Amino acid sequence: MFLPETEVLITRSRPKPRVPGALLAVPAIVIVAFVVVGGSAMVTAQSLGLMPLVGRPELSTAAYTAHGGDLLVGGGLSLAIAGTSTLLACLIGFMAALIMMQGRWCGKLVAAMSSLSIPLPHIVGAAATGLLLADSGLLARVFGTAERWPPLVGGPWWAAVIFEYAWKESAFVGLVLAGTLATRSVDYEETAALLGAGRLGRLRHVLLPLSLPALMTSGTIAFIYSFGSYEVAWLLGRPYPEPLPVMALRLYNSVTLTSRPEAAAVAVVTAAVSLCAVLMALAFLRKIPLWR
Amino acid sequence: MRQGLVVQGLSKSFKGAPHPALEEFSLSLAPGSCTAVLGPSGSGKSTLLRTVAGLEIPDRGSVLLDGQDLATVRPERRGMAMVFQRPLLFPHLNVLDNVAFAARIRGVPRRRARADAESFLELVQMQGTGRRAVTGLSGGQQQRVAIARGLAARPAVLLLDEPFSALDPELRSAMHELLSHVREQLNPMVLMVTHDRDEASAVADQLALISEGTLLQHSSVEAMYTRPVSLQVSRLMGGTNEVPGTIRGGVHYSALGAHALPADHPWAEGPATLLIRPERIIVLEDHNPGLPAVITRIRARGPRRLMTVEAAGVTLNAEETTCPHPAPGDTVRLQLPTSALAAVAPQPTAETSALISPTPKVPA
Repeated sequence: MFLPETEVLITRSRPKPRVPGALLAVPAIVIVAFVVVGGSAMVTAQSLGLMPLVGRPELSTAAYTAHGGDLLVGGGLSLAIAGTSTLLACLIGFMAALIMMQGRWCGKLVAAMSSLSIPLPHIVGAAATGLLLADSGLLARVFGTAERWPPLVGGPWWAAVIFEYAWKESAFVGLVLAGTLATRSVDYEETAALLGAGRLGRLRHVLLPLSLPALMTSGTIAFIYSFGSYEVAWLLGRPYPEPLPVMALRLYNSVTLTSRPEAAAVAVVTAAVSLCAVLMALAFLRKIPLWR
Repeated sequence: MRQGLVVQGLSKSFKGAPHPALEEFSLSLAPGSCTAVLGPSGSGKSTLLRTVAGLEIPDRGSVLLDGQDLATVRPERRGMAMVFQRPLLFPHLNVLDNVAFAARIRGVPRRRARADAESFLELVQMQGTGRRAVTGLSGGQQQRVAIARGLAARPAVLLLDEPFSALDPELRSAMHELLSHVREQLNPMVLMVTHDRDEASAVADQLALISEGTLLQHSSVEAMYTRPVSLQVSRLMGGTNEVPGTIRGGVHYSALGAHALPADHPWAEGPATLLIRPERIIVLEDHNPGLPAVITRIRARGPRRLMTVEAAGVTLNAEETTCPHPAPGDTVRLQLPTSALAAVAPQPTAETSALISPTPKVPA
């Protein structure tokens, strides 16, 4: 009755100048394709025996089965480390973003600390974590409990490794989420509050759904980084079993030149798992109305 | 028992602001009434609404709803819903779930909450759109859904913060109709802020005029136009005709002559400025009885024409009424109906304006 005829739907189907845009992206695409596609193809070929250092090329999956058991254990271990540290990073990062959004002094402090964490390289973070958490480290000395200090560094639970990744990545996740929420959270929170939502209700029904796309994307990036980087696990982890990136590095640096295809096989498995994680994340994101 | 909303002596200052956002602001709303707080930008309208909603903590004063002081009551427990200038529909929920939000928060099962939401969508003429994404709606449709969402929370007070100001004129008129329809159906208590006089007059029973955080007048829409309590109120309501003079025995004497003031009010004796709105001046052709005047200027205002006339050395603005083809230089006759006249103190203060003009009405 009151709907005026001029009230029409906003349509998103505006004509876009696709060709000029694509042309502008060509230089970047060429460089990325050269590195990613070229590198992946070369490593895959090496892992399948098509690019041996010595001898004739011969298609074979021997590199994948040479350390079959270790590959599976290493894969499981890498998944556990990356999964746990990503989960922690997302939880801590989300809380950090909420504190940053409050805009009070503690929020500014958290934002400053997060910003400081980002430029620090992981290798420095790993060394600092080692000096802090080892049984001969600062905390054990401060508390004078070196004998009873839990094996956080080099222990069976890979605690120091997970701690380092969670610390570094939570800063990243926190800043990404804070950037996302900054533009919208206050207005939506106030609206929700006036519709009867308490703090927990707003967190569950408003802030978390609004953060979900950013949380998923930043969490996926954090997972893939933690899954594929070697230096933290190499410095703070145990010699055996090895996570996949550490195994790949060791095999690649081996004096036995025939180990190169095995290192390539581990790298291919690592890349494949990472790709699966990205595809799963994208599939999940497509189900989120806000992403659509 | 419902006693309505009472705002008592509300004051609020922001750091670095040149003047308080609210200064001893008091207002009463009767249950089922619609009050529009009208004022220019930066006058403290939105701060008032946010303070009533509990989104801002006042420096002083109190907000009482049905006799209960809300000072310690969180926004989510005040029983108020607000519709903002932007619809602020939750982008992660579809239309139906946006409207069902308050019920879901209260723990109502999803199926029942959605059924309830459907009825509110129907109320705002948005039936059948429940499954759509909110981003696919036009601005007017989004604002309808926002109103439905606010109403579905069954608030004791519906707060409207310039909800139609971003819409085009046609859509705004449709939204005013919608609000009237909603009021007929649900009779909610509505507190609305706007800077648009026409909008305020179209939707509200009562107007509260605010400037620099201070309440200037709270009265019926008609009284706000015809019985302003001060020159400032008259000017903010679009009044442009001010004739200095003196009141003696209920008659205003000025260069325009003697004009009896409305008998329904005891006008104080002494110096006073006579006020009459441009649209209430009757302009007639020269052969009619009335005050002789000369047209000095004519300006087009859409379908209307605004005339500036000179009468006995006094410049007046009038909207063209019955003259067939007026032109600058023409002699006309003016009639100033007694019912359209008002007078206020020439130098308004709180005390003198209260003596001269009617006391602002407070709803029962």
